[in-house]
Amino acid sequence: MKKAADKIGKRTLALAALCLLGVGGLDLAMAAPDIPHTFDAGGEKIFRSYNATPQEYMAADSGNRNLMGFYELRQYPGSPPRIPHAVAQSFSEQPDNCLSCHAKGGYNAELDRFVPVTPHPENELCTQCHVPQRQEGLFVETNWQSINPPKLGRSFLAGSPPPIPHSLQLRENCIPCHTGPAAVTEIRVEHSSRGNCRQCHVPVISTDPRLEFVRKQ
Amino acid sequence: MMKTNQENNEVIMKLDRRAFIKSAAASSAIATAAAIFPGISFAEWKKQEGASGMITWKKAPCRFCGTGCGVLIGVSGDRAVAVKGDPNCSVNKGLCCVKGYHSVQALYGKDRLTKAKVRRNGEMVEVPIKEALDIIAAKMKDTMAKHGKDSVAMYGSGQWTIPDGYVASKLFKGCLGTNNLEANARLCMSSAVTGFMTSFGIDEPMGCYEDIDYANVFVTWGNNMAEMHPVLFSRMLANRKRRNNVEIIDFATRTTRTSQAADRSILFRPQTDLAVANAICYEIIHNNWVNWDFLNTHVSFHKGKTDIGYGTEDHFAFTDKEEPINFEEYKKFLEDYTPEKVEKISGVSARDIKYMASLYGDPTKKVTSFWCMGMNQHTRGTWIQNLVYNIHLLTGKISTPGNSPFSLTGQPSACGTVREVGTLTHALPHGGVANEHDREMAAKIWDVPVSNIDPKPTYHTVEMFRALDRGDIKFMWIQVTNPMVTMPNLNRYRQGALKDDRFIVVSEVYPTPTTDVADVILPAAMWVEQEGMFGNSERRTQHFAQIVPPPGEAMSDTWQLIEVARRLGFEKQFPWSEEEHIGKIWEEYRRFHEGPKHNMAPYTVLLERPGVMWPFVDGKETRWRFNPKHDPACTNGKDFDFYGKADNKAWIWARPYEPAAESPDAEYNFWLNTGRVIEHFHTGSMTRRVPVLHQAMPSSYVELNPEDAAGLGVINGEMVKIISRRGSVTMPASINGRGVPPRGMVFVPFFDESYLINEVTLDAFCPISKQPDYKKCAVRLEKA
Repeated sequence: MKKAADKIGKRTLALAALCLLGVGGLDLAMAAPDIPHTFDAGGEKIFRSYNATPQEYMAADSGNRNLMGFYELRQYPGSPPRIPHAVAQSFSEQPDNCLSCHAKGGYNAELDRFVPVTPHPENELCTQCHVPQRQEGLFVETNWQSINPPKLGRSFLAGSPPPIPHSLQLRENCIPCHTGPAAVTEIRVEHSSRGNCRQCHVPVISTDPRLEFVRKQ
Repeated sequence: MMKTNQENNEVIMKLDRRAFIKSAAASSAIATAAAIFPGISFAEWKKQEGASGMITWKKAPCRFCGTGCGVLIGVSGDRAVAVKGDPNCSVNKGLCCVKGYHSVQALYGKDRLTKAKVRRNGEMVEVPIKEALDIIAAKMKDTMAKHGKDSVAMYGSGQWTIPDGYVASKLFKGCLGTNNLEANARLCMSSAVTGFMTSFGIDEPMGCYEDIDYANVFVTWGNNMAEMHPVLFSRMLANRKRRNNVEIIDFATRTTRTSQAADRSILFRPQTDLAVANAICYEIIHNNWVNWDFLNTHVSFHKGKTDIGYGTEDHFAFTDKEEPINFEEYKKFLEDYTPEKVEKISGVSARDIKYMASLYGDPTKKVTSFWCMGMNQHTRGTWIQNLVYNIHLLTGKISTPGNSPFSLTGQPSACGTVREVGTLTHALPHGGVANEHDREMAAKIWDVPVSNIDPKPTYHTVEMFRALDRGDIKFMWIQVTNPMVTMPNLNRYRQGALKDDRFIVVSEVYPTPTTDVADVILPAAMWVEQEGMFGNSERRTQHFAQIVPPPGEAMSDTWQLIEVARRLGFEKQFPWSEEEHIGKIWEEYRRFHEGPKHNMAPYTVLLERPGVMWPFVDGKETRWRFNPKHDPACTNGKDFDFYGKADNKAWIWARPYEPAAESPDAEYNFWLNTGRVIEHFHTGSMTRRVPVLHQAMPSSYVELNPEDAAGLGVINGEMVKIISRRGSVTMPASINGRGVPPRGMVFVPFFDESYLINEVTLDAFCPISKQPDYKKCAVRLEKA
């Protein structure tokens, strides 16, 4: 795995420079005046990200993020993840801090990793929701429980495209999490050259109760 | 700047590169397994057994601050298992903060109180809750018989639901006939109330959060919104990013995250905001930036008493005396506040004062001022509210979209319960006890003789705890608040509560320093374990259903009060069934507010929506009051109608600068300032039981200016003893941490019961609002 990562690492390191205006650094222009950019669950972001991110970057895979590490940072499926690395206590709210790495992706030499990209770079007050862990242990023990995360690969037919199992709220843009060298291995797509994700993948939220359709006579 | 920060990083658990790689390697085997067997999950949390995997989402307002974000709570079986922001709620439009996203975890601390406890021979023993309620009723009856009706008291909270506060008011004021009813919101927003009442004659903001989407200038007056109202602050940032004509000015006594994000950070010496506000008004008049049409039609000028004291002595009494003045007298009053003179008092350069005045004075700019505890917890809290309103009134920047002097609150129902229901000694659900018509209205709706309602207010919060210490009050019932952490000059009030013949009842969800002094502990239902309503900072009433059952014998505060009221013989006033009581209480309470100035939405409407703003008239919410385009209560036919005052005008007040109750001197040479952090709400009794929040902010600290720390010979994390004339506390130093105080000031977050900073603070208060000042007292420091 290390070899592969090295190989891709070198190739993508060069790409990182190309990506300075990459995945997330978007100015969301509206489709038309008076049309909110949030319509269609913010699907516009997918096209803009797809346009702005070089194909080679989307196709690259470092293999060093996995689903277990992903959920280790969360308290329930969909909760905002903790910050897994050291940050200064007084880390500034200025967008050129968290977002200088997490809006664009690329390689971080200090941590020797590719940086995961946020699907919602328009929210600049990062520490409103994301906090680091400064200490292990609890104030008092907890009885907290939650449900299982969505299962992967739940295609309805053998070989059919799996539905989107999670809510799209704050995760409207597929590109940052599902493509690129920092994508979680288990949820990386192998066909990042296709930009219209929701052509094949539709939201079937795994935790939402299914309502049976009953035809009125 | 960043380098210094990173050097001062010792206290942060470092997950460095090596740890990162190690954790990646440890999980890589499982990662492979997951790739082979899709569907296997490896989440860290404990899985709910027998869960269907389906989640039902139910709406509620967030449990914590006064912003009032709409949340959707994910329910699986009878447990809350997830949270997301409610996209249909206009307050937060689907976004929460870190407390909100993890709020449901606060329900599940292992030490939840599930059984009633009674002190017997010094030990707390578990009893059935019915027995505890019998004991409370008997003790109240007995105490009133022996010592009179004003020997029993209730101390509630801005975290009370509206029905909680309503039944407390009905029981204490209507049935028992005592005005011994207060709430911790006295410590939190009573200066905001007296500010509104003196300037406008009617409480609560004229504008709403939508102002954020229109304003060009935001001035945060002593208000660290980035941490305390993060959802509103990020809406400001989003506006600044989206529009190219928005700037944020942070006007504060300490450098914070809000200062970092602001376009301009201006620091002033504690208490001198009074002088600076007057200097801004001086500049506006001096440069003729006055909106004369507005001023001549809608504003009258007034002055009150000066040299009004600080309330540090028992039985302190003060009544302001208003005198009308004219514009020329007001203008003459301001001559003491030229920018050059105020620069000397405040430390704010004349240039910065003129700059702030020019922003307010620019007719092309819409200005919104935000404030919260910095202006409320102030020994001249009422005055500073008046002075900031003066700025908006001179320029006519009020009651229109984006022009908004906006008083934020800190608790989810400080407005809804304490201000609107009136759970303070002088208040009633409509008006005050001193007003005969208000007493008659209450007696009629409550079905009690009007003679029951005592026209004389008794004790405000600080005086109530002094009365408990003196022995004038023998019985106190405390709900949804933790005064044994939050009272200023805490040593005195804890010792008072522990005296022999005092009887303290505490309704709580977790053990706290307040349950430590209790004679009876009632286990309370928390938040969505009961039905109720909150009311947020923008006049929005927000209903929540009972979403999960309370644990053990835990009971809602409303129902505890009803049970005790019935035991005291008031079945007629508290007749409702357990199934229907919240709806019935709401419809009874709503009668107090009938009419276009304050009409509340019917119960059925509250059930459907993620919050409804009042006045709610003909099915419409009112976003901008006093503005006839939006507010149906306006009747004068002019462009504004300030109908709160009898003269139909908003009042400009000549209020001088007066110093703080206690300022640094040769012996106690530092200011002590206290407050909150984003991770924790108030005393942390809920948020510290949320793993993410505790681990991100495990304990409190004292922030020092780096130069003061060097002078003291203290480095980050070393212990510092903070000593005042009242007490001392020893805690770790934080240098260049979350905030940086200027030289000569220290700052301490108050959430941590291990470091009771309120043993050090001073119980001085604003003589008009009776709200204590937690931001200013004098201390000295020693390296411990």
